[in-house]
Amino acid sequence: MKDRFGKINNGSAAVLLAIGAFAAGFTGYVLLDRANHSGKRAGADYRYPIEELAKIDPAKILYRQVGTAIETGMESAAAIEADWAGNFYVAGDRAVAVFSGDGSKRRDIPLVSEPTAIGVGEDGLIYAGLSDRIEVYSSDGQQVSAWAPIHTALLTAIAAGKTDVFAADALHKIVRRFDKQGNPLGLIGAKDPDRNIEGIVVPSPYFDLLIAPDGLLRVVNPGRHRIEAYTFDGYLEWHWGRPSVGLEGFSGCCNPIALAALPKGGYVTCEKGLVRVKVYDEEGNLVGVVAGPDQLGWQEPLRVCEKPEDCISRGLDAAVDGQGRIYVLDQSKNVVRIFEKK
Amino acid sequence: MSDQNVPLSRRQILRDGLWTASLTACGAAGAALAALSRRDSYVWQINPHKCIGCDRCATHCVLSESAVKCVHAYSMCGYCDLCTGYFDPDPKSLDTGAENQLCPTGAIRRRFIEEPYFEFTIDEKLCIGCAKCVVGCSAFGNGSLFLQIRHDRCLNCNECAIARVCPSQAFVRVPSRQPYLMKDQI
Repeated sequence: MKDRFGKINNGSAAVLLAIGAFAAGFTGYVLLDRANHSGKRAGADYRYPIEELAKIDPAKILYRQVGTAIETGMESAAAIEADWAGNFYVAGDRAVAVFSGDGSKRRDIPLVSEPTAIGVGEDGLIYAGLSDRIEVYSSDGQQVSAWAPIHTALLTAIAAGKTDVFAADALHKIVRRFDKQGNPLGLIGAKDPDRNIEGIVVPSPYFDLLIAPDGLLRVVNPGRHRIEAYTFDGYLEWHWGRPSVGLEGFSGCCNPIALAALPKGGYVTCEKGLVRVKVYDEEGNLVGVVAGPDQLGWQEPLRVCEKPEDCISRGLDAAVDGQGRIYVLDQSKNVVRIFEKK
Repeated sequence: MSDQNVPLSRRQILRDGLWTASLTACGAAGAALAALSRRDSYVWQINPHKCIGCDRCATHCVLSESAVKCVHAYSMCGYCDLCTGYFDPDPKSLDTGAENQLCPTGAIRRRFIEEPYFEFTIDEKLCIGCAKCVVGCSAFGNGSLFLQIRHDRCLNCNECAIARVCPSQAFVRVPSRQPYLMKDQI
């Protein structure tokens, strides 16, 4: 270390300095980082690949958004419906808000309690579902009738035909059939082996239906990931749909959550979780995507919630007008996005 | 023998009585103090509404097997056949085959209840708290699976190593008399 004249050798000093620096660095890392481990994460096998699943090939997106998202002005928008003239109706906050196609609000129809469903007939009558009962309003907002409450029900969708009105009851997992005066005519979709009906499974309160142009009901069976076609008398004719995170299928535990019919045939479906709005043909073959997570401003499934109610996952609802424009209600942001074909 | 026959004076009775009362009061005060100190102690817990399922609970606990485990709020569960907390995102079939399961340690048990409902339970010995199932359940299902610190394992470190790195500040101190934050109750 020292040369024969007692002086410190430069090379030795440099080595000593380097060793000292290394020791200081190592000690510092061990002491400081041991309690932090900021870079230490579990491997890919321990993470849910949800970001990968959310990616959609842009070539498969066949629609584009018209303008910006329309604010409903509501705190809790529940359902949307559109008429053939291009008006759309949003139910929420103890009211039905009627909008014209350009997004300007025409009127509010006040309700006595929170709406859970809405349907608009070809005759212009508005059917508001209030959990366990239906109230009927004219297009100018006058109450036409208030039907007798159903003993415990959660009506999540209403479809009004020429002579019948159908309501999806998520609580009992059945479709309720009424005449135009509100008299009950029957139940559809209950488990019935004699009719080869497996039953409707509704794990979360999303249960939609519509009357298709072919005169049959289309009922979403979210727990079985399919759309079922029923006659008005309750006979199951056929069904389509399968579970898959792939675009062709319906993702998650219980999808689709909403259904709407296109004027030239085919259906629009909405999925929650991995939010996707897609179009299928009448046989149930995927036609394309209306909007995916990117177009719908999707957020991570898990997020920091200051209040428990902020964490309640809310979904989408869809409606289609006579021109084939698709109205998508985002229930978490309380906005409506309008999509039309590219 | 003769001492036993000596009658107690009123003064002695009074003195003994006071001693007994004093000792009882001391004992009660000690118990109250112990109860008070127990009531005021705090333990670590995860606020399930702030948790983002980042997987750091599995890797940052000072214990080699994390004190954080998945728990199940059955009242929130949909008892789905296709449980997204149990199954891989695209399972080959809806059965208990290992290739279909999401949990990397196989810590979730699936039991048939009645068509089409299944019950899912956590095998805590196998759970490492990675939150993979929590993300799957919350993304697609009702969010009934969530993480909690199990106090039979937690060392209650003054400076919790997981709390230091938790990106959502989900780790909170809670009174030891209410040591769990059950998702279906808060």
